[in-house]
Amino acid sequence: MSIPKEAYQTLQSIVGPEWVSDDPAICEADRYCSLSSPSDEKRRPGCSIEPASTEEVQAIVRVANRYKVPFVATSTYYGAGTYCKKDNSILIDLKRMNSLEIDEQNQYAIVGPGVAFAALQGDLFKRGLCTFVPGCGGQASVVANTINMGDAPLGWRHSLGYQRILGVEWVLPDGEILRMGSRSMSNDFFWGEGPGPDLRGLLRGCAGHQSRLGIVTKIGVKVFPFVSEELKPEGWAYHTTMNLPTNRFKWYNIRFSSRDDAINAMFEIGRCEIALVVMTVPPIFRGVARTRGVGCGGFWEFWKDAGPKLSRSQTDLRVLLYGIGANKRLAYEEKVLLDIVADYKGSAREAPCRDETNFMAADAICANVVGGRFSSEVSYESINQAVRYSKVVDEITDKHRPPILQEYNTTDWVCPYELGYIAKMECLRMAAVEDRQALEDWKNDCQDACAEGGAYALVPDNKVFGPVWGNYPEKEDAIRAIFDPNKVSAPE
Amino acid sequence: MLKVEEYKHQAETCVRCSYCKFIDLNWVKSSRFSRQCPIDTRYRFNLYSAHGLLHTALAELDGKLEFSPKLMDALWQCTLCGGCDIRCKRNLDVEVLQVIEEFRRRCVEQGKGPMPEHKMMAENVRKSHNIYGADPKERLNWMPKDVKPAQKAEVLYFVGDPSSYRHPEIAQATVKLLSQAGVPFMVLGDEWSSGHELFATGQLGLAKEMANHNIKAIQNSGAKTVITSDAEAYKTLKVDYPKILEKSTADMPYTVLHITEYIDQLMKDGKFKFNRSVPMKVTYHDPCNLSRLAEPWYHWEPKYEPPNIAVGKTWRRGEKGVYEPPRNILKGIRGIELIEMQRVRDNAWCCGYGGGVGIAFPDFALWTAGERVEEAQTTGVEAIVSCCPNCKDILGRAAEVQKTGMKVYDITEVMLRASK
Repeated sequence: MSIPKEAYQTLQSIVGPEWVSDDPAICEADRYCSLSSPSDEKRRPGCSIEPASTEEVQAIVRVANRYKVPFVATSTYYGAGTYCKKDNSILIDLKRMNSLEIDEQNQYAIVGPGVAFAALQGDLFKRGLCTFVPGCGGQASVVANTINMGDAPLGWRHSLGYQRILGVEWVLPDGEILRMGSRSMSNDFFWGEGPGPDLRGLLRGCAGHQSRLGIVTKIGVKVFPFVSEELKPEGWAYHTTMNLPTNRFKWYNIRFSSRDDAINAMFEIGRCEIALVVMTVPPIFRGVARTRGVGCGGFWEFWKDAGPKLSRSQTDLRVLLYGIGANKRLAYEEKVLLDIVADYKGSAREAPCRDETNFMAADAICANVVGGRFSSEVSYESINQAVRYSKVVDEITDKHRPPILQEYNTTDWVCPYELGYIAKMECLRMAAVEDRQALEDWKNDCQDACAEGGAYALVPDNKVFGPVWGNYPEKEDAIRAIFDPNKVSAPE
Repeated sequence: MLKVEEYKHQAETCVRCSYCKFIDLNWVKSSRFSRQCPIDTRYRFNLYSAHGLLHTALAELDGKLEFSPKLMDALWQCTLCGGCDIRCKRNLDVEVLQVIEEFRRRCVEQGKGPMPEHKMMAENVRKSHNIYGADPKERLNWMPKDVKPAQKAEVLYFVGDPSSYRHPEIAQATVKLLSQAGVPFMVLGDEWSSGHELFATGQLGLAKEMANHNIKAIQNSGAKTVITSDAEAYKTLKVDYPKILEKSTADMPYTVLHITEYIDQLMKDGKFKFNRSVPMKVTYHDPCNLSRLAEPWYHWEPKYEPPNIAVGKTWRRGEKGVYEPPRNILKGIRGIELIEMQRVRDNAWCCGYGGGVGIAFPDFALWTAGERVEEAQTTGVEAIVSCCPNCKDILGRAAEVQKTGMKVYDITEVMLRASK
C-alpha cells in the first residue's frame, strides 16, 4: 500500500522528511481511531503526515487533488469515522498544530486542531475562565469536537459546542482556504458571523463531516467566565476528583416518584434559568458512581448483585447549582431548586461537592470502565421526544436480550441543553466482549425506530434517514461534488 | 512473560481513547505541562504512543507487521515510565506496560532486538556483572574508609551499578547515613548488576541469571531487609525478580526498602532526626521506578469471567509507590522549602533515562530530561532533588545544557548535609 512516489516526494518537500512517513509501522498505528464500529473496514494509510500550519495543510490537500489520492484528517484519534476507508490514502495527523491563544477580556480562545480540551481548560482556569469539556473526555480535540457536536452536560447553561464557533480557518477539499467570520476580514477570530452567508451550517453538516468536507485548521471558540477559586484535584490516577469550592457549587441528587415529575421539574428548572448541570441518572450511572476506582471487574461484580436492586420505578435527577458572580447567587439557586422539588414532590439530597467527570475528564469513558463491548444510541431532540424515544429503545432492547446484557430496564440518559430547549437521549447497551454483532443488530433496529419517530440521531444511517429527511445524503453529495470534485476528502 | 492469549486480550481491549498521552486530566494545570508520554510529545506520530504500540503489537502478532527500523525506533525509545499504564487504570484497566514489555521480549526472541547498545550492555554484564563492563573487583571501591559494614546484620545495602561506578557520592552518603543512624548493615561482597536494564530490554535469560545470583547472595547473607538508594534496583528487586520467578513480592525471602522509606520510619520512631539547616528551595522529582512502578507484584494466572472480570487479580494502579517518605524527609529538614511541580506523584514526567533509552538514545533521553528541568524552573526553585542515580545523572546533564544554574541532587546528599 503506497501513494505515488512523486506525490510522496512532494509531501516530503512540504513538511520535511521528518514529518511524513510511509513506513508500515507508522501507517499501521494510524489505521484505527476510537469509537468506530468493529464492522467498519479500516485500511492502513498509504502514508501519514504531520503538518504544522494551515499553509502546509493546503499544500498537502493540493497534492492529494493533483494525484487523486484520498486523505483523511485526525488529531487525537478519538473520533468516529476518522480512519481511511480507501486504499493508499494520506492520513493527515494535525497534532503538531497545537497553537493556543486566549483573549481574556473578550472571552474567546483561538485553537489549532492539536489542542485538547484539558489543555485549554488548564490555561483557562488560571484566568478565571472555562470551556465545556465534552462527554467523551478532556483528551478530545477542541476543533474536532466543536465542529462535530460538542456535547457536554455542562452545556445545560451554555449549549452545545457547535453553537460556540467563532472565526474559522478551513482548508476546503480542493485546497482553497476559506476563512469565515471576522477571520475573513483580518487575523481576528472574534466573530463567528461575517459578511456574506453564514457557512457554519455547511461546516458542521449533520454532526460534523469527519473530514469529508476538508479540514478545519483553526477556530475561535467562545469561552465563559468562571469562578476564581481553584478546583482542587485529589486522588490517584484510577480515581481522581476535583473538589469544588463550596461557596460556588452544590450538587443535588433528587428522586422523583415518576418520570413525568422528573421531566416536568427539568422543564421548570430551565424556565427558572438556574444550575450548570441538569440530567437524569440512569441506574447504570449510579452503579458506576458507586464503584469508582475498582475497575471493570469491580463494577461487574457489584452490578451482578446490586444492579437488579437499584430502583427503576423512580427517576433520579442530578443537578449542579452554580453560584457565579455574586455571593448570594448559590443560595438563591438552591432555594429555587428546592421549591421546584417540593412542587413535584421530589426528595432532594445534597451530594459531595466534588466532580470526577465534568470539568476535565468525562464520564463517557465510564462506558469503557464497565468493560465488555458497548454501543450507544444517541438522539437530539426536545426533552419530550427524548422521553418518548427512550421508551421505544427499551422495547427494542427487550427483543435483543440476550445477548445484550440485562440492564434491568430504563438505562436511558436524558441530558438537556440550553436550559431545556434541546435534550440528548443516550442509551448505552453492553454485550459481552464477543458479541459485536448483537450490538450492531440492536443499533440498526434503533435507527429504524428513530427515523420513524422523527428523532435526530447523532450518527444517522443515511440509508435509513435519507428517505425520511428530504434525501439529505443526495444533497450532501451534491455539495461535496462542488467542493470536492476529485473526491479526495475522506471518500467512502 | 505474558502468555499469548493474555497479550492479545490486553492489546485488543485498548479503544484508542488517547488518555495514555496525558497526565490525569483532573490534575492538568496548564497546556504546557499536560502531557505524560515522552515519545508521544516528542515524535507525535501515533506509533510513538501506548495505543500506537499496542495496536502494532496486534499487527505483529497477526503476522501483518515486521520489526522494521521504524517500529524498533518507537518500541525502544519508550522509557517504560508507566505513565500510560497508570492512566489507563482510570478507564479500562489495560495492562499497557506489560504489553509493551512483552512486545520487546518478542522482538528480542525473534533476533531483531534489542538495540546494539543494549546488546553491548548485556555483554558487559555477562563478562563483568555490571552494565559498564567495569572491573568487578572495583565494585566496592567507593566505600569510605571510616565506614565499616557489618559481617552479619539484619540489613543489607544493595548498591546497584550506577552508584557503585558512576555516582559513588550516593552510595557514600547512604552508608554514612546508616552509620549515623546506628544501623548495622552488610554489603554483598559479590553483588551483581540488578539486571534492571536487562529486564527493560527484553533480555530475560541473562536477567534471570542476575536475579538468581543476587537472590541467593541475599539469602546466604541472612539479611531480611534490603535497603537501596537506587530506584531502579529497588523496583527490580521488588517487582521484576518475583515476576520472572512467577511469584509475588510477598513470597520473596527479603523485604526491599528504599533508603527514604527506612529513614522516614526511623524519624517517625524518634530514632533519627536531622540536626543541621539546609537553606534551599527545592522541588522533588518522583523517579518512575520508585513511584508508580514500585507497587508490589502479585502473581496471577489469567482467568476471566464474562463480561470481562479478571478473577482473583490484585490490581496495581500506581497508588502504593513510594511518594511520601522522600517528601516527609525534605519537609523534615530545617531550611528546605519544598515546592511541587505541576506533574507529580503518579503524574510525574519521566526523566528520560529509563527503559534502556539513556543507553541507546542519549539525545532523546536528554530532551526528555530537558522538559523536566524546564518544568522545575517554573517553580522558581534552585535545585531538583530525586532518589535515583540515573535521574540525577540525566537531569543534571540537561540542567547544564540549559545553562540555568539549576542544581540536581540525590536525596541522600541532601540528607547527609542535614545530618553531619
